[in-house]
Amino acid sequence: MNRANFLAQLRAGLSGLHQSDINDVIADYESHFADGVADGRTEDEVAAALGDPARLARELRAEIGFKRWEQERSAGNFFGVVLALIGLATIDILFLLPILGMMLAVFFGVTLVCVGCVIGGGILLGNLMLGGDGLMMGNQTLQMLTSIGLLSGGIGGGALLLLVLDWVARGLIKYARLHFRLFKSANDSI
Amino acid sequence: MAESLQIQLKKGVLEMCVLALLSKGDNYAYDIASRMADAVGMGEGTIYPLMRRMQNDGLVTTYLQESGSGPPRKYYKLTKAGATALKAQISDWLAFETAVRKILGEVI
Repeated sequence: MNRANFLAQLRAGLSGLHQSDINDVIADYESHFADGVADGRTEDEVAAALGDPARLARELRAEIGFKRWEQERSAGNFFGVVLALIGLATIDILFLLPILGMMLAVFFGVTLVCVGCVIGGGILLGNLMLGGDGLMMGNQTLQMLTSIGLLSGGIGGGALLLLVLDWVARGLIKYARLHFRLFKSANDSI
Repeated sequence: MAESLQIQLKKGVLEMCVLALLSKGDNYAYDIASRMADAVGMGEGTIYPLMRRMQNDGLVTTYLQESGSGPPRKYYKLTKAGATALKAQISDWLAFETAVRKILGEVI
């Protein structure tokens, strides 16, 4: 395998990541080839010593996925972590899938409840601000308290949900790293 | 077959070896990889995921430096956390090594 082949396979394995991350990785390996050739080795020798590009891509995808999640806790980045973990195949998919499915269901349920609370609280509060008081039999204090309760409950619940999600993602990352086949290559050297 | 003992052992100490190399001076990945490949038979390509992980963990930082020929080179530098981690890993390693040697001493 020559340089172009190696880099093409690596690029294929990284597809779907941010372009800047891909460029970063490719630049690393480009300069490795340049250094190797300057060292008097052929492109084929350098590629052979580097190892399987598909396997390297899986490991890099995992590291990049973890970093993205640590930088920004978004649904997309969480999905990235999960994809990377499945790619590594260090976690038994049969063991992971039901847990993930359950988590997803709970996640959506709690999100809906939180959004509902915020919307409900917002409507009550908005109604009060606009001078209306008909939503709770004219009891303005009760309406005020209920709306504040719903709003803070919704927001607090959302924050708690993020915390739990973060905790779960970190747990998965830790587990995966312990089981990383990071150093196992096709020919069973490290 | 399960991974051999040798591979498991190398996996465990690879990070410590890289930290040790960097404690002697900043270096770039190609040089680290060829030293590690010579010394412990690591696949050279493995250095990049490993360096990325160590960077994520805050053990190393990178900077670019002009090289004589071609584009600037990415150098890795040990952070304070990296130096602390190295110390801890060395003392763990030495304690482990001593304990194993003690047991093996009864056989060899």
